[in-house]
Amino acid sequence: MNRLAPADVARTRAFWAANKPGETAAPAYVPDPPVWWHVALALAVALTLQASLAPFLALRGGTPPLVALLVAWYAIRTGSLRGFTFGLLAGAAEDALAGTTGAAWTFATALAGLGAGRLARTWLADMPLALVPGAAAFVLGRFGAFALVLQLEGRPLALPVAHLHAVLWQCALASLAALVLPRAFPALLGKRH
Amino acid sequence: MAALVALVQLDAAKSGKPSLIAVAVTSVAVWTQSAVAATASAVGNAGATIEEAPRLYADNADLRARNDALRSENDRLREALAAAPDAAALARVAARQDGIAATTIGYDPENASRTITIDRGSEAGVRRDDGVIDDDGVVGRVVETTPFTSSVLLLTDGASKVPAVVQRGRWWGIATGTNSRVRLEYVSQDARLTVGDAVVTGEGRSFHAGLLIGRIAAVDHPEGALYQSAVVEPAVAFGRLGRVLVIRR
Repeated sequence: MNRLAPADVARTRAFWAANKPGETAAPAYVPDPPVWWHVALALAVALTLQASLAPFLALRGGTPPLVALLVAWYAIRTGSLRGFTFGLLAGAAEDALAGTTGAAWTFATALAGLGAGRLARTWLADMPLALVPGAAAFVLGRFGAFALVLQLEGRPLALPVAHLHAVLWQCALASLAALVLPRAFPALLGKRH
Repeated sequence: MAALVALVQLDAAKSGKPSLIAVAVTSVAVWTQSAVAATASAVGNAGATIEEAPRLYADNADLRARNDALRSENDRLREALAAAPDAAALARVAARQDGIAATTIGYDPENASRTITIDRGSEAGVRRDDGVIDDDGVVGRVVETTPFTSSVLLLTDGASKVPAVVQRGRWWGIATGTNSRVRLEYVSQDARLTVGDAVVTGEGRSFHAGLLIGRIAAVDHPEGALYQSAVVEPAVAFGRLGRVLVIRR
């Protein structure tokens, strides 16, 4: 994709700041899809680690949200639609391995992927440090969607309430990853305008 | 494709049965999870062995001596048993032979619910609501089966409810999970619960009576309430589950 003039970028940001995404608004992160089998392999590894070693990796009950971070990363690299689709697949696999959550992680992760992909087109790319609270917000938002879907499925609210403190630890772990990884591996987030 | 995945998941969630995606994922994942679980277990065991080698050496000598003593006592008891067989003990052993031995290969990826995955599914004869135990006592019950794996809801999960009896006085209650422990609820106010009392299963959908759940760690006896409750320390160490036995009801 061609590099935009600074004026276009500024105009884009102004559109988004005013919450009026115009059709001419240009993305801040350029869609830069990673190789598909890299993503598939990373998802398989993340799922296996989380499902096999969750109690051993957990920090005060909160497991490192590897799958969530992978979905967020993919959404940043590819955009909201692909982020949504990948979130749907990753969440479905999590539901399959959890066994008792119905389709809650499926839709929660898909919605979180949609949100991350959309935000990555705007101010996330301008402020690298926004990734740190952004990662925490992503995990928390995903969990909120999880609780909502569970409610819609008619399941008791006790599960998400009991798990909330562990999710806050997951937020901390996600923020730490968002702080460290982009600095250690700058190419991870793909191209930007 | 996204719509298809969403529809499949919605349909499965509504029907309460595992979706095609769940069956496919668990059927593939069982191999990798088994390998990772075996590797993790081997690494953990090797580390523990090295760490404990000096103590094990001393223990070994001690145990050899005690083993000799126990062997002679065992011979004497075996002779006594052959002379007068304990019908109840024999029945218990016979019942255990219906069990399906399984290995814990996975956990809830998000650690949100207290569930484990075992490497035996409907192909091995595991059915929904079958009880699961290990050497120490009750582990939980099967809540979902796929051809090669099953999900087990642990006794400590908030959604787990098991009919329970305090062994000493035959007082009934419901053992409910609290995520880390078990709470014995709806116990009659006239029950004289004490710390250390053994709590066992009552006759129910998943278990026969008499399997150890745990021991009472604290009693909550509020004045004026209809029922009392107690905190139960589970007999099973849920953090290091390995081999378990699925028992058919």
